[in-house]
Amino acid sequence: MQKETMTSIERVECALNLEKPDRVPIWPDVTTSAAAALTDEKIWEITHQGFDAEQDLELKLFDEYGGWDAVNPALTADVFAVGGNKIIKATEESPEIQFVEGEWTKYEDYEIIAEIGWFQFVTDHLIYRVSDIKDKAEYDKLYGEVINGTLRGMAEYQKRGAFILYAQPNNHPFFTLSLARSMVKFTEDLFYRPEMVERALKKMTEEFIEFGLMLCEMANLKNTKVIEERAGGAIYPLRVFDRFWWPYTQQIVEAFHSRGIMSSFHLDTCWDKNLHYFKELPRKSAMIELDGTTNIFAAKDILRNHMCIASDIHPALMSLGKPEEVAAYCRKVIDEVGDDGGHILSTACGLPAAAKKENFIAMLETGKTYELSK
Amino acid sequence: MLVNGFVELKRDEVLETVKGRVEQGDDALKILDDARHAMTVVGDKFQEGTLFLAEMMLSAEIFKEVVTILQPGMDKARPSESIGKIVLATPKGDIHDLGKDIFATLLIAQGFDVHNLGVDVDPSKVVDTVREVKPDFVGFSALITTAFASMKKTTDILISEDLRGSFKLMVGGGVTNSVLKDHVGADFQTIDAMEGVSYCLKTMKEKNQ
Repeated sequence: MQKETMTSIERVECALNLEKPDRVPIWPDVTTSAAAALTDEKIWEITHQGFDAEQDLELKLFDEYGGWDAVNPALTADVFAVGGNKIIKATEESPEIQFVEGEWTKYEDYEIIAEIGWFQFVTDHLIYRVSDIKDKAEYDKLYGEVINGTLRGMAEYQKRGAFILYAQPNNHPFFTLSLARSMVKFTEDLFYRPEMVERALKKMTEEFIEFGLMLCEMANLKNTKVIEERAGGAIYPLRVFDRFWWPYTQQIVEAFHSRGIMSSFHLDTCWDKNLHYFKELPRKSAMIELDGTTNIFAAKDILRNHMCIASDIHPALMSLGKPEEVAAYCRKVIDEVGDDGGHILSTACGLPAAAKKENFIAMLETGKTYELSK
Repeated sequence: MLVNGFVELKRDEVLETVKGRVEQGDDALKILDDARHAMTVVGDKFQEGTLFLAEMMLSAEIFKEVVTILQPGMDKARPSESIGKIVLATPKGDIHDLGKDIFATLLIAQGFDVHNLGVDVDPSKVVDTVREVKPDFVGFSALITTAFASMKKTTDILISEDLRGSFKLMVGGGVTNSVLKDHVGADFQTIDAMEGVSYCLKTMKEKNQ
């Protein structure tokens, strides 16, 4: 078997630049719940020990399993809570963070958001509807812990030579509003009374860019995360996508790209009908992470030599499949999605809490050895 | 009239029409049949690819409002006969219900008797309901993998209680695929609500032949 000739950072940069690395870069997209299960820890106990304990858990996983190339600091329940999401923390019976769908915002709130912006809306109003936080001081304290914990996690991974793919998860303004309003109500707003939604989206997009640039500058990162799980063709017709998602997305990507920052799109649900839009973005301005429902091979055909694609080992395969089946899928995406580079080996929507140890090892070993063995 | 209103999402027009027909003494069950027909057309257009999930979801919301308007009249009328019985649940450990509830509304619109047990449902509740309702279908929905064990446990109890042979088992939701279908021994798996409705309709048609 040939030897590795690149560092993790060189390998990931190579893939993002649409070139062929020595072997595929690996980014398991670890969740704290999976980290606990794979290290025989109890997530429901660790979650209540604070942010640092959750960061340490993911670092333990990294160290115990021999590490990998790309990482993101732990996405804890607190990280999502400070963003205004209604969260249920992991419990023994349900060891995963869960988002609670609900009408946490009213139609009238769009006007407030358009006026004062999303972040102030969260701290002035939303946080008290979705969490037990009692006042601004408590919110600021928690936010400080999230920022400091994230920076500490990044520093620890940098010591280990890993590429930091992004610092914080940033939900796309469209997804943010859908989560906060509930999908049914948000969709009614889009179809029946869209004007105020558009005003809110406009303001939130400006803030998204401003906040993301600040984070990238603070953490010295060249990548930012854009999470969108609902805007694609699996749910909305293209006329909705054209009006309420794509223009704001172009604005986001162009703003970051002009500062040399790549946008990494976490795209859940099937985006087969929307993939060709991404070809309109500047080459190497973005990458996409798919969740196993979008046809990744068709995505490669459309976006070949245009943007990097993170592959999509299915959660059911990681949780219930056999190691040889996981390895076979890894080889398939390495060969077909990564044949000319521009591919990162990853899991669909994050490493699932029920992933088997032997399947996780199969993913890591196949990624680390397959191309070098050929 | 109702068909266009449902397809084009003219909510106010549909509701005004229904209210008008009720006031004129039209049979509530006849109006319900018309609304169901409109939802069938919506479903067909979704399967053809001319309507999207969001549009089908909003049509289902209109349907729910129509049913609310018709309810007093239906209570007085003869009971409407269902075309099949379905028990739906998000298994223990998972609290997501968006997809399951869309599926439930579409099934109701097609005339199925739906027993929606909600989220985080204990296996014993599913078993008790199956024993009581004697459904044609049981459907499990999941968005996280920790629900897999609960699905399997529930299915195993249904087998040990000798109940599994009396219904078709369906699994659906973002994290499901054929691997999970085989693992729990389900008859059908989908991430597409309308595909699930079509499966139920086709199965009932075959059963009744």
